[in-house]
Amino acid sequence: MMPAHEQYHRAVENLIYEWARAIDEDRVEDIAALLLDDGEYKVASRFNVDRGLPLAVIHATSPAQLRDRIKSMRVANIYEPHHYRHIVSGVQIIGKAQGCLEVRSNYAVIRTMDHDGSAMLFSSGQCRDLVSVEGGEPRFKRRHIVYDSRAIETLLVIPL
Amino acid sequence: MNAPEPAAAARAWPEEGYTRVPYWVLSDPDIYAREQEAIFRGKAWHYLGMEAEVPEPGNFKSTFVGEMPVILTRAGDGSLHAMLNRCAHRGNLVCRDAFGKAKELYCVYHAWIYDLKGDLTAAAFRKGLRGVGGLPEDFKLTEHGLRTLRVASFHGLVFGTFSQEVEPFEEWVGAVGEGMRRVLKGPLKVLGYDTQRIHANWKSYHENPRDAYHANILHTFYGTFGLSRQSQESRMVLDDAGRHVYFYTKAGTEKDSEDYQETASTLRSHNDQFTLEDRSLLKRVDEYGDGVSIQILTLYPGFVLHQISNSLATRQLIPRGPHQADLVWTYFGFADDSEEMTRMRLAQANLAGSAGIVSVEDAAVCEMIDRAIGDGAQGESFIEMGGKTLTSGGDSKLSERALRNFWNIYRQDMGL
Repeated sequence: MMPAHEQYHRAVENLIYEWARAIDEDRVEDIAALLLDDGEYKVASRFNVDRGLPLAVIHATSPAQLRDRIKSMRVANIYEPHHYRHIVSGVQIIGKAQGCLEVRSNYAVIRTMDHDGSAMLFSSGQCRDLVSVEGGEPRFKRRHIVYDSRAIETLLVIPL
Repeated sequence: MNAPEPAAAARAWPEEGYTRVPYWVLSDPDIYAREQEAIFRGKAWHYLGMEAEVPEPGNFKSTFVGEMPVILTRAGDGSLHAMLNRCAHRGNLVCRDAFGKAKELYCVYHAWIYDLKGDLTAAAFRKGLRGVGGLPEDFKLTEHGLRTLRVASFHGLVFGTFSQEVEPFEEWVGAVGEGMRRVLKGPLKVLGYDTQRIHANWKSYHENPRDAYHANILHTFYGTFGLSRQSQESRMVLDDAGRHVYFYTKAGTEKDSEDYQETASTLRSHNDQFTLEDRSLLKRVDEYGDGVSIQILTLYPGFVLHQISNSLATRQLIPRGPHQADLVWTYFGFADDSEEMTRMRLAQANLAGSAGIVSVEDAAVCEMIDRAIGDGAQGESFIEMGGKTLTSGGDSKLSERALRNFWNIYRQDMGL
């Protein structure tokens, strides 16, 4: 039997792909519009999450905070130029919570450095999302990225 | 054919002394190997963790001192211990978890078992079977414990050393201990970890938080939003030996001057383009009542304690070869923090660490230096900001005094 929320699957998947593609195409600013006004974006290690430790390396509790971080990336922070490629898989709607669909997906991000072309698996993990499908276009109520390795290679300035 | 230069000649420190650092110290594998013996197993104290990470009898944490895997434990009687994570029998790890609770340390290879103080309590089939096999008659459990470290607890932080000679921790930190006591005002609570893998020599990173000169120049966020500016009331404090340093600044105490304006207007760190939509990240509580907005404290050879607004963290620098180091950030608050205070500390964790809005630059600079020096065979850095001696520059932050002192101690320890 098809789960009741299966009708939203394509739209939810599309939202997740949209987020990844905006980052990969260097339109990072666009992801803020995919968060609800009271939406939350958080990037935390599995190491902390598994131990019940609240620390996140990125925590934005509004689209404005996410835009501030992206602006800092554009005009303030110093880092060597690089790009991401997101590989997204296993999108599943697993239930409902807080009036939203509860969604899981896996991601891998390959980071390519501009200057010497070196590429590596930069990050992998699970997205634990709450997606609102009320009022037309789906939006993230919560985008919670749990990365697998406790270590981050060099720095994380482009959001995942 | 010309013979290659003898190694000793190629490795002569520049005659100017500690105002120059030859780049081979950042890349030579032989130097790296010698550091493990002379510094990480030598006369220095190394950060192991927090008492709050091993709160109860039986708790353990595994960590590193240099390349050496080390376990921090709290034994049944509540005492703290640290030992090499290496079975005395055949060298296997006796502990595989990052944190946990155990009654004993059990080597899976041959069931040699140690208590949480590191003493060997059993070795499987020690007496053999039916009179055959087993360890020699003269084997004594007491002679085959884990190699232990001296341990010192200081206001909730735990340090260890393999050295029997280094002075007690409190003497060793000297005047810089005051900066630690200031931050560590009560029982600690761990908020989480962030490990940053930096592809550069550990000393490039160690220099960074000692270097108050760069802070307001490289880090745009500091200058633009006034968390730290050169025109503020600030100070740098070193211990008598010059091993350790802390500096602080007080936001909102700017004294304007013509020469400051002239320089500031040329710095990329004062950026009019950079404004925040949500300024809540800039809110802070003066929890120490002294107006200090930022205090960065560095202990030789690989420890940092930071207060950035209300974000508090330790940083442990773990060398991983001549061109790699792991920087482990442990964010903390206090056991009696209100929920609101904890939320504030967590929000301000956005400022530092691997993804810090203020400070992602530091790792980038370390890695760019690593590539800029190439094979390290030629060239040296120039460290004369504030003057040419160990005291010149005084307590001004516009000085590389703490770097000169670091390299002075380093050369003594390394015999270079």
